[in-house]
Amino acid sequence: MEVSVIGSSQAKLGRTDFACGDVGLCNNLSAKIFCRKSKICFDQRIRWPEASVRFTIKAAAPTEAVVSEKVSGGKTTSSRRSKRIDGVRLYVGLPMDAVSDCNTINHARAIASGLKALKLLGVDGVELPVWWGIAEKQSMGKYEWSGYLALAEMVQKLGLKLHVSLCFHASKDPKIQLPQWVSRIAESQPSLFFTDQSGQLYKECLSLAVDDLPVLDGKTPIQVYKEFCESFKSSFLSFMDSTITGISVGLGPDGELRYPSHHHPAKSNVPGVGEFQCYDKNLLSHLKRHAQAIGNPLWGLSGPHDAPNYDQFPNSNNFFKEHGGSWETAYGDFFLSWYSSHLISHGDRLLSLASSTFSDTPVTLAGKVPLMHSWYRTRSHASELTSGFYNTVNRDGYEGVAEMFGRNSCKMILPGMDLSDEHQSQEALSSPESLLAQITTACRKHGVEICGQNSSVAGVPRGFEQIKKNLLGENAVIDMFTYQRMGAYFFSPEHFSSFTEFVRNLNQPELHGDDVPKDEEEAAESLCSDPGKDLHMQAA
Amino acid sequence: MSTVALKPSLLHCRRENPKFRLNSKKAKSSSLNYTLKPFSNCRSFCNFKSSASLPIRASSSDTAVVETFESADVLFKETFPLKRIEKVEGKISIRLADGKDQENWKLTVGCNLPGKWVLHWGVNYVDDIGSEWDQPPLEMIPPGSIPIKDYAIETALKKSSATMEGDTFHKVEIDFNINSAIAAINFVLKDEETGSWYQHKGRDFKVPLTDYLHGDGNIVGAKKIWPGPLGQLSNMLLNSEGAHPKGKDRSSDSRDPNQQNRLIEGNCPETAKNLVRIETDLPGDVVLHWGVCKDDNKKWEIPAAPYPAETMLFKKKALRTPLQHKEGGNGSWGSFTVDKEFAGFLFVLKVNESMWLNSMGKDFYIPLSSSTGFHTESRHSQSEGQIKREFSEAEPGSALKSEENAEENQAVSQTAYTDGIISEIRNLVSGISSEKSQKTKSKEAQESILQEIEKLAAEAYSIFRSSVPTFSENAVLEPETLKPPAKITSGTGSGFEILCQGFNWESHKSGRWYMELHEKASELSSLGFTVVWLPPPTESVSPEGYMPKDLYNLNSRYGSIDELKVLVKRFHEVGIRVLGDTVLNHRCAHYKNQNGVWNIFGGRLNWDDRAVVADDPHFQGRGNKSSGDNFHAAPNIDHSQEFVRRDLKEWLCWLRKEIGYDGWRLDFVRGFWGGYVKDYLDATEPYFAVGEYWDSLSYTYGEMDHNQDAHRQRIIDWINATNGTAGAFDVTTKGILHAALERCEYWRLSDQKGKPPGVLGWWPSRAVTFIENHDTGSTQGHWRFPGGKEMQGNQYKIHCRSTVQITKAERDVYAAMIDEKVVMKIGPGYYEPPSGPQRWSLAVEGKDYKNNRTSYI
Repeated sequence: MEVSVIGSSQAKLGRTDFACGDVGLCNNLSAKIFCRKSKICFDQRIRWPEASVRFTIKAAAPTEAVVSEKVSGGKTTSSRRSKRIDGVRLYVGLPMDAVSDCNTINHARAIASGLKALKLLGVDGVELPVWWGIAEKQSMGKYEWSGYLALAEMVQKLGLKLHVSLCFHASKDPKIQLPQWVSRIAESQPSLFFTDQSGQLYKECLSLAVDDLPVLDGKTPIQVYKEFCESFKSSFLSFMDSTITGISVGLGPDGELRYPSHHHPAKSNVPGVGEFQCYDKNLLSHLKRHAQAIGNPLWGLSGPHDAPNYDQFPNSNNFFKEHGGSWETAYGDFFLSWYSSHLISHGDRLLSLASSTFSDTPVTLAGKVPLMHSWYRTRSHASELTSGFYNTVNRDGYEGVAEMFGRNSCKMILPGMDLSDEHQSQEALSSPESLLAQITTACRKHGVEICGQNSSVAGVPRGFEQIKKNLLGENAVIDMFTYQRMGAYFFSPEHFSSFTEFVRNLNQPELHGDDVPKDEEEAAESLCSDPGKDLHMQAA
Repeated sequence: MSTVALKPSLLHCRRENPKFRLNSKKAKSSSLNYTLKPFSNCRSFCNFKSSASLPIRASSSDTAVVETFESADVLFKETFPLKRIEKVEGKISIRLADGKDQENWKLTVGCNLPGKWVLHWGVNYVDDIGSEWDQPPLEMIPPGSIPIKDYAIETALKKSSATMEGDTFHKVEIDFNINSAIAAINFVLKDEETGSWYQHKGRDFKVPLTDYLHGDGNIVGAKKIWPGPLGQLSNMLLNSEGAHPKGKDRSSDSRDPNQQNRLIEGNCPETAKNLVRIETDLPGDVVLHWGVCKDDNKKWEIPAAPYPAETMLFKKKALRTPLQHKEGGNGSWGSFTVDKEFAGFLFVLKVNESMWLNSMGKDFYIPLSSSTGFHTESRHSQSEGQIKREFSEAEPGSALKSEENAEENQAVSQTAYTDGIISEIRNLVSGISSEKSQKTKSKEAQESILQEIEKLAAEAYSIFRSSVPTFSENAVLEPETLKPPAKITSGTGSGFEILCQGFNWESHKSGRWYMELHEKASELSSLGFTVVWLPPPTESVSPEGYMPKDLYNLNSRYGSIDELKVLVKRFHEVGIRVLGDTVLNHRCAHYKNQNGVWNIFGGRLNWDDRAVVADDPHFQGRGNKSSGDNFHAAPNIDHSQEFVRRDLKEWLCWLRKEIGYDGWRLDFVRGFWGGYVKDYLDATEPYFAVGEYWDSLSYTYGEMDHNQDAHRQRIIDWINATNGTAGAFDVTTKGILHAALERCEYWRLSDQKGKPPGVLGWWPSRAVTFIENHDTGSTQGHWRFPGGKEMQGNQYKIHCRSTVQITKAERDVYAAMIDEKVVMKIGPGYYEPPSGPQRWSLAVEGKDYKNNRTSYI
C-alpha cells in the first residue's frame, strides 16, 4: 500500500482539468475565488450572471490557478494585483501589540481566525506595526524579528498582502516603549526628547533635532533607523516580492510627520491649539543661530512668548489671534517658517533613508501625515501651526510636504478619511474634509499617491459612509485604504457587521466594473448602502 | 510541556523505486525515517516538514514484505510554540529486523537528537478492537523499563555506540516473539529534559506487525498493485440519478489505468427515503464504517434498521458494512437507504485493520436533505475536481480512532477544522458557478460563506475581548503572601493565612512605626490579611533591627515596648495575628574579649564567648562549629550549647506572653540546624512560623537552570529538620518567577513532573510564597521582582493545599487549574480554559494575567 505524493496528484489534477474543458474552467474559478479578493459577493442583490461571465473571461491559466491555490495562493495574486490600477485595495491594521515584547504573537488564534475572516471577506491585506522598541529592544544592533516573521508567515499562508509600518515611536495604549537601551541613554539626556515651553518632555519618540547628532552611543538616530531598516530588509527579503507590498516609515509621534503639539491630554472635547515643541536644547540653539544669521538675534532667544497653552483656544492669547495675531507679523513668519522647515527636512531625512534602503526591493514606501483639522476654519490654522505645518489662510503649508514626498517617491498616508465636517464640534471650527481636499490637491500636483486611513479605533458617526465617499467619489485619488484596526471592537458584532457591509459596498462596483454601465453601478451602490442600518450600528 | 506533533508528508521516493520493495525478500531491514525540524530560535512558529519513507520490511521464510503507508500532506505548516532555543534537526529511526532467529524479532527505535529520550510504548494485540494500548508481554520489556499504569512502558533510550552522521545516536531495542499475537507496537518519544513529546501527526507512531507476519501472499500481491490512496481517491464522483443517467465512467479519468473511481450516487425517490449508493474501485475487502447525522454539526448517529446484509454495530457509534465485490472487476459497492429526516450520510472506509480512508482527516460527508441537495444533484465535473482536492489528504489514521485518542493534538485538529471549512466553501463556490439552478445555489453559497466569516469573526472577538487589559492598581502595602494550608498544627497555621510584612527597610526612619501601623490595622484587615509580620523588636546595632544586642530590650527605632504591646493588641482586635521577627542566628556583643574582639554579651543574657560558634575567625568563639552557614557581620550564636537554647526558649516564651506574638518569622535560618528551630517552636507553640532560608538558585553559564530541585531540596531539608513545625519562604518560587516573568520564559513554571517548580510543588503546605520582602525589594532592592509584573506574580501564588494541575507552561504563557475550580493564566500568550461541564467566568484580569472561576452548570 502506498500513498502517492501531493506533487503528482496535483499534476494529475491539472491534467484532468485540461482534458475536460468545462472542468478546467470551473476548477479554475474556485481557485480564483480564493486567490482574489471580492469575487465572493454576498449581497443577494447582485446579479450573478454578470459575475460569472467575468470569471470565465478571467480564467486564463487554469493550471497556474490550481497550483497557486495549493501552494500559497499568493504569488499569482501579486502579479495580477500590481497590474490592477482601478479600484481601491483594502487593508486592515493588525493589533498594535500583535507581537508582544517577548517576541511572541499575542492572541495568535484570534489573529488567525480574524485573518481568515478578512480573507474570505475579500480584504486585500493587513497592516502590521513593527516596533523599534520590540525588535531592537535589548541593545543597539541586536534585532529580534522572530515574532514578526511568524506573523508575516501567517499572513503569507493565507495569501494576504502585508503593509509594514516601521514604528520608531512608543505607544501609551497598548504600552509599547522605546527600546530599553534608548530609554537608558535618554535618562541622562533630556534633550533627546521634544520639550514644550514649560519644560515638559514628550518621551514617546526622539526629537527631530537630534536626527544627525551622535547621541546614541556615538551613532545618530538616523544611522540607527537606517540599520534597523537594513536589518528588517534582510530578514524579510523573502517576503518582499510577494507578501510585503508596502512599508511605511515612522516619522514622529504616532508615526506621523509632526511635532507632538497636542500630547497633553485634552481637558475638554474641543481640542486646544496645542503648544510649540521647540524648547529642547538643540532646537533652541538652532533657533538662536538662525535668528543671528538673518540679523535679528532677539528673535532667537525663545519661542513665541504669546502662544496659548495646550487646551486654550486661538484667541486666548495674541499669537494666533484671528486678526492682528503675531503669526501674521514678520516675526511670526520667521518663526513658523523655521519651525515647519525643520519638520519637512526631518521627513526628508527619514524618507530618503528609507528609499535608499529599500530601493532594490519592489515595495512601495509611504509616510504618514496627520490631519490636524481643528481650527482649520480660522485664519491662522493654529493646530496645524503648532504641529509644524505652516498652513494659514495666506500660505499653503502642504505644498512643501507633498513636494518632499514626491521627491522621495513615497506615498502619503492620510488618516481621517472617516471624518466629515458635520460631525465635528462646531466650537473648534474644524474641517477635516477641506483639509483633506487641500492636502489631496497638493499631492496630486506633485504626483504623490495617497493611502487612506480612518482616524481612530472607535467608530466615528457615519464613518463608513464618509470613507466610501472619499474612496469612491469622483475625485478619489486613493488607491489603498487601511482600516484601523483589528481588535475586540473590530470583531464585535455591532462593528463587524457594518464593516462587512462596508467591504461589500466597496467591492461591488469593482465586480461589475467591466460589465455594467456606469449609472447602473451607482444605482446598485445606493441600493446597498443602507443608512438606517449604519446609524443603528453606530448607536449600538 | 509542549506536545509536538509531526505531520510527515510523504515524499516521492517510494514511488520512484518500487523495485526496492519487490526485491525485498532478502532484505534484512529497512528503516523508516522521520525528519524533525523544529526551528525555534525563540520563535513560536515552526515548520515541520517531515518526510516519511515507507516502512518496514521484514523477511521471514515464506511471506514477506510489507509496507505501511503514510499519508501525504501538502507541506504542512503549523504553529508550535517551542521552548527549545536552538534549532534541532534530527531523525527518529525505526528498524524492524529479525534478531536471533526467525521467531524472535527486534524492533529498534533510535533518535539522533540530543536529549534524554524516553520511549513511551505499548502494544496492540491481534483481535483488539480500538486503539487502546496494552502492556506488552513480560519477555518483551527491556530491563530498566518502567510500567506506566496498565497500558504502557517507558524505556529510556541508551546512547548507542554507533553514531549516525556524526551525532550521538540514542536507541532502544525491543525483542519480541512473532508468535506473541501482537498486532502492532505503538509509541511516542518523550524528551525527559524538556518534557516534549514527539508524536506522529498528533498520534502515536505505530508499527503494525500482523500484516507482515500473518498476512498471506495474496494480500501482499494485491497491495503492490495499489497506487496509493491518493490515486484511488483522486477521482471521486458525485453522481445523481435525478439529474443525469447513471454513469460511472469519466472519460477524463480513464487515462491512468491505475486510477480507480468511486461513485457515490444519491437518489431521492418519491418516498421519504434517500438511497445512497457507494461504489469504489478499491480492490480487496472494503468495509464501510458509516452513520448518519441530523444536522450540520455532523454528529454520528445510527439510523434505524433495515441495514444492508452483514452490517454490524460498532461500539454503538457507527455501523460497519462490508461492501460487495463488483462482478468481474475491481472494486466493490454498497447501497444504503436513509430516512429523509437525516441531513447527511457520514462514512469512512476501512481497508484493513490498520488502514482507514477519510476525507482530509474528517469523515466523508454526503448531504442528503433537499436543502443541500445540490451536492448530489450536481453531476458537474467541477465537483469532481473539488472532491479530488478534498481527498488529497486522506489519512490512514481514522477519524474514528481519534475519538478514542484523547490526546489529539489541538493544533492539528484546528487545522483540519479550518481546512474542512475551506473545502466546504470551495464546494459551495463550485456550486455557484454551476450553470444549473444558479440562483439558489449562489444564495446558499453566499449565506454559508457569510456564516463562516461571522463564525471566524466571533471567534476572534471572543479571544480579543477576553484579553483586553483592565488593570487596576492594587493598594497593597508590601508583599503579600499566601500561606499554604495544613492541619492546624503548631507553627503552620490553618493554611489560609495571607501574610503582610508590616514594615519595609525604611520603616525605622519614622521613629514611631508602631504608632503608624496602629492606624492602619483595620485597613490591613479589610484588605484580607490575616497575619502581619512586625519588624524585629529588639535593641539593635543597625536601625532596621537585624543586628540585635540585648534581646530583652524591646525599645527600638520602631517604637517602645509599650507601643508594641498596644499595636499587637490592636491587631488582635481586628483579627490579625502577629509574627515577631526573631533573629536567632547572631547577636551583637556588648564587650570585647581580651583580644579586642567583640564577643562578650551583656544585658540579661550575659553570655560569654562560649555562646559564639568556633568556626568564624572574626569572632573567636569558643563554642562548637556552626551547624549552618555563617553570617559574617556579627557573632553567630552556637545553638548547640544547652544554656543558649534554654535562654532563647525562655526569651521566646517571654515574647509570646509579654508582647502577645502569635508566631515567628525566623531570620537567617540557614545559619543553624533546623532541629534547633523545632526545639524552639515546640517550646513556644506558635500559631504560625516561617523561616527565611535564602540562598542562591543554581545557574549554568549565567542562565538559570530549569531544574531547581537542589535549591528547593535545601529548603525542604530545613523544613524537615524542623519536623514540619515551620514553613519557609519559597525563595525558589520567587527566583523562578523572576526568570519566567522577566524573560518571558513561562515554561519554567512547570517542573519536569508537571508540578510547580518551587517548594510549592513539593511541600505546598509549608511553602510561604512571596513576591518581595525588605531584603529583596524595598530600598535594599537586592533581588527585586521584575517591575510591572507583580500582579502576575500574585496571581501565581496559588492556594497550595489545592490540587494544582498545570495545563500549560510554554514560552509565553502559563496556565493552571486549581482544585478544578479556578483557572489562571499568566503571560502574554493565549490560553482558554477547557470547555466541559464547568462554566468559566472571568474573575480577575489585568495585563498579562487572568483568572477564571468556575460555576457548575
